[in-house]
Amino acid sequence: MTQPNATDSQAYINRVRAEIEAEAETRRRRDPELQRQEREIERAWIEVAPPGAAGSQGELLLDRADRLSMIDVDAPLGTKPGIRQLKGSIRKGVYWYLRYVTDQVNALNNVLTRLLRRFDERISSLEDAAAVADVGGLVDPVPEPDGAVADTVASILADHAGRVVVLGCGSGVLVRPLHDAGVAVHGVDVDALAILPGVRSGLDLRAGEPASHLAAARAGEFGAVVAAGFVEDLGPAAAQRVVEQAIAAVGNGTVVIATGDPADRDVIDRELRVGRGLSPATWAYLFGRTGATVDLVETADPRLRTLVVARLA
Amino acid sequence: MSSVDLLVPELKSGDAIGAHTLLLRDVFVAQGATVRFVAQQPSSMNEDVLLVSAWKKPGDLIVLQHGIGSLLAEAVIKRRLPAVLNYHNITPPEFVEAWDADHIAGLRWGRAQLHQLAPLAPRAVADSQYNANELIDVGFADVRVAPVLWNVRKGNDRQVDHDAPVILFVGRVAANKCHHDLIAALAALTTTHPTARLVVVGSPASESYQRALDAFAKRLGVGGHVDFVGAVDDATLAAHLANAAVFLCLSEHEGFCVPVVEAMAAGVPVIAYDAAVLSETVGDAGILLGDKTPHAVATAVARVLDEPGLEQHLIDRGRQRADDFSLAVSSKAHRAAFDGLVAR
Repeated sequence: MTQPNATDSQAYINRVRAEIEAEAETRRRRDPELQRQEREIERAWIEVAPPGAAGSQGELLLDRADRLSMIDVDAPLGTKPGIRQLKGSIRKGVYWYLRYVTDQVNALNNVLTRLLRRFDERISSLEDAAAVADVGGLVDPVPEPDGAVADTVASILADHAGRVVVLGCGSGVLVRPLHDAGVAVHGVDVDALAILPGVRSGLDLRAGEPASHLAAARAGEFGAVVAAGFVEDLGPAAAQRVVEQAIAAVGNGTVVIATGDPADRDVIDRELRVGRGLSPATWAYLFGRTGATVDLVETADPRLRTLVVARLA
Repeated sequence: MSSVDLLVPELKSGDAIGAHTLLLRDVFVAQGATVRFVAQQPSSMNEDVLLVSAWKKPGDLIVLQHGIGSLLAEAVIKRRLPAVLNYHNITPPEFVEAWDADHIAGLRWGRAQLHQLAPLAPRAVADSQYNANELIDVGFADVRVAPVLWNVRKGNDRQVDHDAPVILFVGRVAANKCHHDLIAALAALTTTHPTARLVVVGSPASESYQRALDAFAKRLGVGGHVDFVGAVDDATLAAHLANAAVFLCLSEHEGFCVPVVEAMAAGVPVIAYDAAVLSETVGDAGILLGDKTPHAVATAVARVLDEPGLEQHLIDRGRQRADDFSLAVSSKAHRAAFDGLVAR
């Protein structure tokens, strides 16, 4: 392969990283054995790590709690003759007392473990009732914005100071015009496969959770935040969190929300999509409450007809 | 001529903060200052050290090395001395609390002391922007960045056995450095590269963590592929670096990560989890991963092992990047960071 020169080293490394993450994702989707092996690895670590130090597999931790909750009063005696007799005498002498104490502690531990199990079952049943995780894939993911939206976003942010981050960037449609205009911009999307074409064409796109990326941002880290895709299905509490975190991340900058209006969805989309989503008008209201200057900017995209532009300066 | 008191918990060999403090002395001496070390305990190196209990009259400039709670910081706080803080970061206790109940008190103490030191410090100097950001968040007003002073060695000629590739990590065996993720990645890698081995250089900071790692490797069937070699001398470390096909760092928390710089200087391709300071130290000279699930890491390692063009790029770019942290460059950065504080 051709060696990249120093000037495009960063783009080359970005591309390699994106290809690695896409390849890992492709293999994981194609080969269930890999998923099983990763679960086995995680399970093995949880088995040897102290409670609370590893993983989030509650069932395994509860099994462990079950085993650890029983205190055995029969301390080992060892094999050396003299020591064994001495330990045996001590054990006999204090056995009745230790038995009395450990019976109480064991009873308490047993109750606590049962309570934890009930609690775990209760959470599981609530999750089942909410059926949050089960409907993924029944409806198509929202399509990426078209070029008209990208040009509108670029014109809003063209002269903007500071780095721009596009959350939910997909293949980089919203990133491209900003990048071409010389704006320092990167995109983040949870789909490692979706970003690959954009990375290969030289865009700075990163695989990761957009919401986590925003939550981890330092105060004033960005000049502007553009949120698309992942914001389509947020409920009120999650949306409010995005508003607060975006405002903190841009300081005196600008936040752009690119989302369709839930009222425009057809009946299947409306009923099967995981979250209900907020309309541009509601997003504008949430930003307006914070004191931001909010504009609703029209675009030529029939789905993303209105962009919410909140200026904090 | 200024007198400078360098406050360091302990001056000992093989310790990054100790080595940094010795080199910082050279920076001040070159500017005409007289320097003395103030420590909590006598030095195991052949250096004159004034114990903090005997430290009565402070020098014109006080520089406190801070990487854990210390009696030195306590003395500065109690006497309300205007000490410049030289910050190397403190491991957040939550990373190690399940493993090291004894150790977390010092970590919590150190972080609490930061809040008390902030109003006293005329300036703070941090190893990295990542560390500097922590200080700014705590309330330090004047924070400068200068990379840790370290005599970065170029390393020996590479002697990599591509038929039995060695994945190397160097660092204390502590939970925040996530050696268990290295072992998990090795287990995934051996499905495609069955002869791959993991070599870990560094002393165990936690016996319970070390025991769990040994058991974990055994359970995954890669116990025979993992070598914990402990702390080693410089020559042995150079040999390990020369043999390494890849330097793999999956730490959750690092404040600077000298071993990554040493690996780059020695021409070892670096793959690292993109957390804490790593993106700042590695830059574009290594592969940073946003996902450290075993097969994602194994895919990255396999890619470097199997693609000579990429391997060579990482080697070349890594050597250039290591030059950014050479002693000459870091010394210059420290002169600038302490500018105006040392009277000639």
